[in-house]
Amino acid sequence: MKKYIKNAKMVFVLATILGLASCSDEFLNRPPEDNYSADTFYNTDDQLIAASNGLYGKVWFNFHNKAFYAIGEIASGNGFSYSSDVNTLRELNANGGDPEIGNAWKSCFAVVAQANGLIRTLPERIGPGVSDEVYDRVMGEAHFMRALAYFYIVRLWGPVPIIENNLDFINTPRVNTNRVEDVYTFIENDLQFAIDNLPEKMRGANYADNGHVSKGSAKSILAKVYLTQNKYPQAKAMAEEVISSGEFKLYGGASLPSKSYGDLFLTINDNNEESIMAFQWTAGVYGVGNGCNTMFAYSSYINESFYGGVFAPSQDLMTIFETGDIRRKETYMLPGDFYPNITTKDGPGFTVPANIDAQVSGSALKKYVVGKASQAAGTAGSNGMMANNTYVMRYADLLLIHAEAILGDAASTSDAQALGSFNAVRNRAGLGNMVSITKTDILHERRVEFAYEGEYWFDLCRIPRAQAIAIVQAQNRGDKNNAVYISGVTASDFVLPYPSGEVIKNPLLTAPPVAYLFNQ
Amino acid sequence: MRKSLLNANQWTSNGIMLFMLVLFGSINSLNAQSVSGVVSDSKGLTLPGVSVTVKNTQVGVTTDIDGKFTVAAASDATLIFSFIGFATQEVAINDRKIIKIVMADNTESLEEVVVIGYGTQKKGDVNGSVSSVKAKDIADIPQVSFDQMLQGKAAGVTVTNNSGQPGSAVSVKIRGASSLTGSNEPLYVIDGIPISGDATNKSTHGTPIAGSNFSNQGSNAVSPLSMLNPNDIESMDILKDASATAIYGSRGANGVVIITTKSGKKGTGKISYDTFLSLQEQTNLLETMDLRQYAVLQNTLADVYGQNRRPEFAHPELLGSGTNWQKEIYQTAILKNHQLSFSGGKEGVTYYVSGGYTDQQGTVIGSAFKRYTFKTNVDARLKDWFKVGVNISGGITNENLTLNGQSNGIVSTSLLVAPDVAVRNLDGSFAGPPVNESSISFINPVALAMSRTNKLVRKNFMGNFYAEAKLFKGLEYRFELGANTEYSENNEFNPTFAWGSAVNENAILNVRKQDYYSVNIKNLLTYRKNIGKHDFTILAGQEANESRWKGTALEARGFLSNDIQTISVSEADQILPTADYIGSQALYSYFGRIIYDYDSRYSITASIRADGSSKFAEGNKWGYFRAASATWKLSNEKFMEGTRKYIDNIRFKAGFGQTGNQQVPNYLYGTVLNTSATGLGTAFLQSNYSNVDLKWESSEQTNLGIDFTLLDSRISATIEVYNKTSEKFLYQLPLADYVTGGDSYYGGFASPYSNIGKMQNKGIDITLTYSTKPGNDFSWNSTLIFSKYKNEVTEIQDGLDLSRSILLNDFTPAIVTNTVEGKPMGLFYGHHYEGIFTSADQLAGAPTYYGNAPQLGDAIYQDVNDDGAIDEKDLKFIGNPHPDFTYGFTNNFAYKGIELSIFVQGSQGNDIMNLTRRAGTLNANLYTNQLAEAIDFYTADNTDAALPRPVNSLSHPNNKISDRYVEDGSYLRIQNVTLGYSLPTDLISKLKLTRLRIYGSVQNLHTFTKYKGYDPEVGSFNQDPLFMNIDNGRYPTPRTFTMGLNVEF
Repeated sequence: MKKYIKNAKMVFVLATILGLASCSDEFLNRPPEDNYSADTFYNTDDQLIAASNGLYGKVWFNFHNKAFYAIGEIASGNGFSYSSDVNTLRELNANGGDPEIGNAWKSCFAVVAQANGLIRTLPERIGPGVSDEVYDRVMGEAHFMRALAYFYIVRLWGPVPIIENNLDFINTPRVNTNRVEDVYTFIENDLQFAIDNLPEKMRGANYADNGHVSKGSAKSILAKVYLTQNKYPQAKAMAEEVISSGEFKLYGGASLPSKSYGDLFLTINDNNEESIMAFQWTAGVYGVGNGCNTMFAYSSYINESFYGGVFAPSQDLMTIFETGDIRRKETYMLPGDFYPNITTKDGPGFTVPANIDAQVSGSALKKYVVGKASQAAGTAGSNGMMANNTYVMRYADLLLIHAEAILGDAASTSDAQALGSFNAVRNRAGLGNMVSITKTDILHERRVEFAYEGEYWFDLCRIPRAQAIAIVQAQNRGDKNNAVYISGVTASDFVLPYPSGEVIKNPLLTAPPVAYLFNQ
Repeated sequence: MRKSLLNANQWTSNGIMLFMLVLFGSINSLNAQSVSGVVSDSKGLTLPGVSVTVKNTQVGVTTDIDGKFTVAAASDATLIFSFIGFATQEVAINDRKIIKIVMADNTESLEEVVVIGYGTQKKGDVNGSVSSVKAKDIADIPQVSFDQMLQGKAAGVTVTNNSGQPGSAVSVKIRGASSLTGSNEPLYVIDGIPISGDATNKSTHGTPIAGSNFSNQGSNAVSPLSMLNPNDIESMDILKDASATAIYGSRGANGVVIITTKSGKKGTGKISYDTFLSLQEQTNLLETMDLRQYAVLQNTLADVYGQNRRPEFAHPELLGSGTNWQKEIYQTAILKNHQLSFSGGKEGVTYYVSGGYTDQQGTVIGSAFKRYTFKTNVDARLKDWFKVGVNISGGITNENLTLNGQSNGIVSTSLLVAPDVAVRNLDGSFAGPPVNESSISFINPVALAMSRTNKLVRKNFMGNFYAEAKLFKGLEYRFELGANTEYSENNEFNPTFAWGSAVNENAILNVRKQDYYSVNIKNLLTYRKNIGKHDFTILAGQEANESRWKGTALEARGFLSNDIQTISVSEADQILPTADYIGSQALYSYFGRIIYDYDSRYSITASIRADGSSKFAEGNKWGYFRAASATWKLSNEKFMEGTRKYIDNIRFKAGFGQTGNQQVPNYLYGTVLNTSATGLGTAFLQSNYSNVDLKWESSEQTNLGIDFTLLDSRISATIEVYNKTSEKFLYQLPLADYVTGGDSYYGGFASPYSNIGKMQNKGIDITLTYSTKPGNDFSWNSTLIFSKYKNEVTEIQDGLDLSRSILLNDFTPAIVTNTVEGKPMGLFYGHHYEGIFTSADQLAGAPTYYGNAPQLGDAIYQDVNDDGAIDEKDLKFIGNPHPDFTYGFTNNFAYKGIELSIFVQGSQGNDIMNLTRRAGTLNANLYTNQLAEAIDFYTADNTDAALPRPVNSLSHPNNKISDRYVEDGSYLRIQNVTLGYSLPTDLISKLKLTRLRIYGSVQNLHTFTKYKGYDPEVGSFNQDPLFMNIDNGRYPTPRTFTMGLNVEF
């Protein structure tokens, strides 16, 4: 009996020790093991640069993938599609349930949230190993990106909540929107901060160095922000600062004669001398690549997916190019066109077949179509997505802004500087000089230069509404067989509805906007 | 001796007898004589291993394999026959040499032991609410996973099959959903090892076991429980109320299901072989358009959209009927199951060993499930004070998954793919859309199902070891070490193909490898003390649990052919890591319980548990959960003696308890970074907003119950009412996208989790059983189970709405449910449809519809806020997925060896949102087939139409979520009918068999319902409690015909 109790006691003592030994705070402490936590990052220059890289890629994906074109091109009348996921804006009667409106919204606000994450975290978290230079640069990039996102947001939706620190909204997410003029002030402040903090750059032949934005990038966007608000003198001054800096060059034409307008859209030329700011895609998993090659190429014969031709040029777009404009062939394809840089299923070089007919347009898009993986096009990523960048702004845009800012409210101008900038863009396209230009000339030039680069809708939105209504009602918005003209377009059709899910979560979005209380 | 003489006196009429008895009796009193006999059960089956002892002596034997025994005993002695599961009998020998004994079933001793968590208790003594399901209740059900078998078997337990896919997850809700977070599934404790029922892994690594990382991509949740062979289960005890589950503290909020597997019994070894063969078929097809109808639709829609008609459809009447894709994707599927088990026991050691094999084809082509299971249970009493045991089981499953539960899944695609495409070309290759069709909406689903591989292999091993020692009188110490590990591998290969104009030139292989293990250690001390009428059982324990996981997912491209599907043959620079995760979590707990009983009349149970969890920040890690319950056995009171012949047992129960929930992802109290690739190099983005204040969700439940039995226990009833309140329930804050930036995969911030609100479930569970007197040739027993609960969310932080969106057709998200204060959770949310604009008068003064004036033929919605504009502010609650009540009715009839069992089960008063039907009546795209009813849409010539005018836009107001798509989902299903026959013992004993039974059954025989989809049992999409009864291309549950055989020798 004694022995049995002794045995038992031993078992008991042993097991209790075993049990208790494992109970320590350490046992219940489980920090992440598969990635950094915000507490253990931002200690070196490399880590800060890696954090800033994030603002150029996936955060923009949902905006760029379809919405950018469903809004920027289909709504503006440059594009055409029967595909019901992207064609709601074909007749300008979108509602907040449209998935692409929701995608554009959340993507732009993801950029705001990530930029705010850096602006909020870096000052308190950076380690001693971080140089002032890199810290300033990354803070500058964060302000630049927040401004860029809000610039898209305010032009698409008008009044929206200004969010400087997302954490302030977690417990009080139901807020009023802020006035459009306050959003613009906010954007201008951010760009000014970016100009003060971003490094000077000179765009050279080492394209890898050109990817991150510079002081010149911020000034260029600010010029555009000013022009959008019809602040012509400021726009002109800002554009001239950029031009005189010599940071950027037109690709092709007098400045880089060995290049051409078409070369702008080859993957190997990403971050070239003309690129002011671009989304930086890569051939990787879903969400980090450029889907245009899939959406625009007329079929899987020339892309890496199993479908194609979701977007097509509109019948209207096919009437606007002057004879001899080399941009026509780089914008959309016609039977017989030959593209040496497009690799097809059968090898390099693509001659457009006679039956090309994306979305019953009798044509198909060329811009941002790079063909199958090749030296010029690079490799392919998930879902046939490619690594070619998307221009947010290129130097041609700045030149046309310059011309338009000089024209101002005048009916026409023959100002030499304005003509210089304007004709540089035309010459590069193989067209002759103009001696006097009007607003209509500039808008036309912008439309052909930037067709399918997401610009035309924003141009229509910044001109007087009556004029914009007249333009869109005069466009043929049908397919090649059936002309369709829309009527009854109203001023409010140029402002997108807020996404339905957002209005459900915050009914105040549709209430009148309020003034924003700026910190300074 | 006096007794035997008295007995002998009865025989005085026979002098010779008397003489002989006296003679033998006197000899016996000196030398025992030999008595032999055979022992059988009430059905005539002989019983081996029955213990036969001579009363008041040490003499004893056990019956042999044929149930025979021979024992030396005095002729006037009394023999005691005892065997587990049967009533112990005392039989006087009365000079007989041969005695035939029929053992009566002792249902009491078999059924009344209930597992209550860290211990067992007699059913009649349990103070909390526990339902038990025994092996025999689930026999003959041809299901591969035991959770499916709980359906309709226990009051308060709602089981729905979320998908008909073999091996897919089911939703088990105990007394309604109590939480909104991730999974509401109960905790399963299999032989002492805790296993989470969460099939989505939300609380661990957050990534699915199969399929892609993106959320909402179809039903990809596979059952975490399909690893266990149901044949190995002895009993399932479901702890329902908090006073019962509080001992599981942290993990008990959704209820606990304790599973005990079979163990060996003393006696000669027993060999059992169980097998069944089933044929499974799709119960019904939906009426889609044939080619002629489709051509007419395409022509009409082309006119409406302003497009040219397709020349090949110029004369629809001349066309054939085309391809019926539904017929092509469903097949009659075979399910085979074999199980061999051995059990027995000798000299303190008992064992149970089994091996099983299941091979199931899916009713949708391309889906299949294979499983191999192994099980060993050994228990040994080494000393009279020391006992050890081990349970080990292993399972390997090999599944082919189809994409389902999603608009581009096989099931949905079969409804939408155009009938002008053949399945195969003349040369046998798969056909596709004509080459000139630029808009490919859907690809040949047969080709997809047969060409795409999506294989999931899971290897699971589970073991539990225990040692139990009696330290001194009444005090027992038990140590348990359990571990569970699973390794899984998912290979999804998307081949190159050229099916008409659908061409894919890039084969893609997605490989996902995961492994997971958890270790569980328990130290338990149990002290039992009896002082007169006072009976105490005191438990003190400690438990630690740690889980670790890691996984990698890769995407590879650049294959030269479809033949070899490994990463090694892909192109080296085209291998992308898509996920790589590693992590762990831990729980540490102390608990104690006192059960006190006074005179079998009053009983009290009280428990407390403290849990520390790694999910919460310092200061919030520990949660404390208390419970108390009491029982009054009225029938044991003296004053009730007179009524016992009518009511033999009345018991009142009352209980209150707290439980917790911490089933949320790890490290929510901090911010984690996400890696992504950009053209500039690797990038790091912040992925979530943290909440350092996050703490335990706690749930409180009050339970009141009454048990009684009538007429010699032939009628018994249990009625329980409960009120369960979840406080501070954990939920991810439903922040708007302008705050979060949307999905964190795309660079948004995941919303912080917060203890967001309060929810209540009130309900009643009733179980009624009736059984005929045992011992007759004919027996009938019947069980009716009725459950009703009412769910209400009583409080949400900041008065937020918990609206939820699901991916509809073509990946467009739409809000389908909303949850607000004062209403049940997950109510359907949308517009109230009031008809169609058919006249100019209606249009005049009509509100605007999302900013635009409606046209003739547009849908009319209710202007809820009466502001002259139909928009988001006019959304309202349009349906309730919660049933008014659910029920199950089991009837077993037996006559000699024949048994008939009929099980009917149903749900009443619940709505279903039929999104499959929405996709089939949208008319929003050309090149897409529709349901036959879709042709009846508004045109100038058809103003009396059922559907609004077609619009080539998914988000047009006409296509908004509305109560047009909400249907009554009530149903009554004949779930199972089984006819079995056991061959008579005397016949089979010649074959050395102790049991031979054959049976045939039909599962899912017929469903009575008004629901227009395939199957009204929709369940929760990926177990999400806010996506209840959303039918979005769900894999329907098949009808199953089964033939089975049970052999034992």
